[in-house]
Amino acid sequence: MKALVLLGCPETPSQTPMAVYVSSKLTKMGYDTTIAANPAAKKLVKVSDPEDFYHLNLVDLERLLGEINPGDFDLLVGFVHKDAAASFFVTFDQILQTKSLALVFSRDADEVAEFVSMIEESGSEAKIAAVRAFHNPSPIKVKFDKAIKEFE
Amino acid sequence: MSFCLDTYLQQSDNYEIHASKAGFKDCAMIIRFKADDLVYIKPGDEVLGVRVIGIPPIPIGFDHEKGTVFLPYTKPCHGTSVVELPIDEEEVEKIRKLDTGNKK
Repeated sequence: MKALVLLGCPETPSQTPMAVYVSSKLTKMGYDTTIAANPAAKKLVKVSDPEDFYHLNLVDLERLLGEINPGDFDLLVGFVHKDAAASFFVTFDQILQTKSLALVFSRDADEVAEFVSMIEESGSEAKIAAVRAFHNPSPIKVKFDKAIKEFE
Repeated sequence: MSFCLDTYLQQSDNYEIHASKAGFKDCAMIIRFKADDLVYIKPGDEVLGVRVIGIPPIPIGFDHEKGTVFLPYTKPCHGTSVVELPIDEEEVEKIRKLDTGNKK
């Protein structure tokens, strides 16, 4: 089983620790996990694991977008905290046609609602875990832990 | 060698940005407003050598008099922009084949 974790812009502090957490959790669940991110977000994750304890498999987001095909991954988990991240998530979701989970968060509750509606309006069947969060990753972790149980 | 939008935008100045660092919905509205002809495609469909990112239905617009195409262009940290650039008839026909007909 293969899982893809999609990161957005690295401006959100809670994204990097949650990327390591989600990757570790999915790997423990038996997934061969890949994290796709832009160069800055990739570096933040890579520097967070200097001893390669978590064996994080990091790839370039845009390169992967050009290469993926339906069925390449069995699960998509996306961090959605910007308008562009919602667009990227919906695009990967439509290409892969697989099980998917969107972790929607923002410091602004209106933005959370807006990103959720963008995903829903796209016709995506993704499970959506949404919460108001920015610096503190705990609310996202709680939502993720609950949501991922549906995929176990 | 086939056309690649990323390379074109880096190496040419023959294009126009109508909106930058915007939301996808605003960019879709600008394309619908500015173009005199539209097709609607799916996220991930390839246009001018790149997969288009967005929320379906994604509008791709044409100005046939100027011979240009309007398309959304999304980067993770910079949001979505509307880019207008010259296009030849062969590429227009390729894009027409992607039309889902779904405008909602």
